[in-house]
Amino acid sequence: METVLSISQLTKTFGRITAVNKLDLEVKRGQVFGFLGPNGSGKTTTLGMLMGVVNPTAGNFSWFGKPVTHGTRKKIGAVLEHPIFYPYLSGQKNLELTALIKGAPHHHIAHVLEAVELTSRKDDKYKTYSLGMKQRLAIASALLNDPIVLILDEPTNGLDPMGIAEIRNIIKKIAADGKTIILASHLLDEVQKVCSHFAVLRRGTLMHCGAVDDVGKGEEIVEVAAYHDDLALVLQEFSGTLSQKKENSNYLIRLKEGFNSQDLNRFLFDKGIIAAHLLTQKKSLEKQFLEILEEPDHAIKK
Amino acid sequence: MLHLLKVDLKKLFNYRTFWIICGLYFLTLGMATASGMEFLKWLANTFKDFGSKLNIDRIPLYHFPDVWQNLTWGSGLLKLMLAIMVIISITNEYQYRTIRQNIIDGMSREQFILSKVFTNLLLSISSMVLVFFVALFTGFIYSPEISFSYMFTGAEFCLSYFLELFAFLSFALMLGILIQRSGLSIVLLFSSYLIETIIKTNIDDYFPSIVPFFPLQSIMNLVPLPFAKYAFQEIQDYVSLTAVAIALGWTFLSTISPIYD
Repeated sequence: METVLSISQLTKTFGRITAVNKLDLEVKRGQVFGFLGPNGSGKTTTLGMLMGVVNPTAGNFSWFGKPVTHGTRKKIGAVLEHPIFYPYLSGQKNLELTALIKGAPHHHIAHVLEAVELTSRKDDKYKTYSLGMKQRLAIASALLNDPIVLILDEPTNGLDPMGIAEIRNIIKKIAADGKTIILASHLLDEVQKVCSHFAVLRRGTLMHCGAVDDVGKGEEIVEVAAYHDDLALVLQEFSGTLSQKKENSNYLIRLKEGFNSQDLNRFLFDKGIIAAHLLTQKKSLEKQFLEILEEPDHAIKK
Repeated sequence: MLHLLKVDLKKLFNYRTFWIICGLYFLTLGMATASGMEFLKWLANTFKDFGSKLNIDRIPLYHFPDVWQNLTWGSGLLKLMLAIMVIISITNEYQYRTIRQNIIDGMSREQFILSKVFTNLLLSISSMVLVFFVALFTGFIYSPEISFSYMFTGAEFCLSYFLELFAFLSFALMLGILIQRSGLSIVLLFSSYLIETIIKTNIDDYFPSIVPFFPLQSIMNLVPLPFAKYAFQEIQDYVSLTAVAIALGWTFLSTISPIYD
C-alpha cells in the first residue's frame, strides 16, 4: 500500500522539555489512523510540525514520499486544536478565503457546507456559531480541496453527545470515501469506533503502533460462575488456565494461548459442573491503552 | 502576486473597520488637499492680522508647479491613518491565530507577508493617484496661466510621496509583525517619532551626517516642507535621490526582516 506519511526520528524540544522524542511512524493510504495519548503527550506538537507551523528540532518527515513544500499542505486538510477562522466573516466568506488560499474550485464550497449541514447558517458571522458549528465548519474547510489526507485534532473536544455523534458520522462518511484520516484524540471510544490503526504517544515517545482489530487478540479472558463450592479448585485443574482471579461472584480466568471459552466449558461439563455464567471478555482499546501507558519507559513496542 | 493581493483583500473587504478607516482616510485626503484655499480664506477671516500681513491671493498654493510639492507634503501628514489600519490588519492575524491557519492551509510565511505588502502597495498607489488628480485639477483651477512647459515640473513629488507612504506602511507592518498586539504597536508607532527625535537631537552636534539615515527622517526627507519659501527662505524643491535611496533601503529591510526573523 502507498505510504502517505512517513516520519523518522522526529524530535521537538522546548527548552528542557522534550515534547516529541525520536518519533517514527508511517501512515498508509486509506487508513483511518488514530493518534492517541493523554493531554500534553505531544500529539498537537507532532501535527504542528507536520503542517509547518512548528519547526522540528531534529528528524524529518515526508508527505506522499516527497520532500515538503508549502504546496504539499494544499493537498492536506487539517484542523489543529481549535477551529480558527476570521470571526467577523460569515462561514461562507471564510470558506471562500480558504478556497482561495488552497486553490480549490468555488463550487466545492456549497458541497462541503452541505456535507457538514451548515448550509442554512452559511451567511451568519462565524462569531455567532456554536462550538459544534465551529467544529463542523473546520471540517468543511479541511475538506474544501478534496484532500488526500485529512488531519483532525480532537474534533469532538467540548461537544455534547449529540455533537460528538454528528462529527463521528461525518468522519465515518469521509472514511468510507477512501480518504486517509489522521485523528488525534484522547477519547478512546471514539478511536475504536472509527479508526483502523492507532498509535499511542506518552510524553513524546511512541509506545505502541498497530491495527485496531489486533486489539483483543492473543490471550482470552473468560468470566465464569457456577453453583459449585470448589469451583476455584476445579478451575485451577484446567490445563488452559494461566491465572485466575475472583471478581464479585465470578471467576476471571486468563487462558493460555490456544485455549478458548469452548474448551473451558467442555472441561467443566466433563467434571459435571454446569456454568451459570460464561462470558468471553473482549479486551477494549481503553484497557489496552491504559496497559500501554503503564509500561515502563524502556519497554517501547514496535 | 495578484493572487496574494486577492487573498488579503478578501479578508479586508468584509471587515467594517477597514471600510471606516479607509473611507475616512480617502475622504479626508481628497477634501483636505482640495480645500487649501478655502482654509486660507478662513484663516484670513478669523484672524484679522493674518489678512493684513499676507495677501492670500498672492500665495501660489495651487499654482503649477508649486502645487505638486505643496499637496504631496500636506497629504503625507495623513499617512498615520493608513498605518493604523495596516497594524490592525496584521495584528488581527496574530490575535485570531489566523496566520497559523493560513500557513496550515498552504501559504508560506513569505507569501503571507507579501500578501500584506501588496495591500500596502495598493493603498500607497491609490493615495498617489488621488493626490495626483487633485493636484492636476486644482492646478488647472487656480493657476493664473497654464503652460505645458512647466505644468509637470515637480510632478515627480507624486512618486516620492508614494514611496513615503509605502516606506511608512512597511515600517508599520514590521512593527505589527514583531509586536503582534495592536494597541502596543500603535503606541510604539507614535512614540517612534519621539524616540527618533530624541536620538537625533542628541547626536546632531557630533555626527550630523548620519541624521538623514534615520528611518523616519529618511521618510520625511522624501517630500521636504515647501511652505518656508513663501517666507522667502531657501527650500529643497526637488526630490533628493539620496533620500530616495535611503528610504528604499529601510523599506527593503522592514519587509525582509519579518520574513527571516
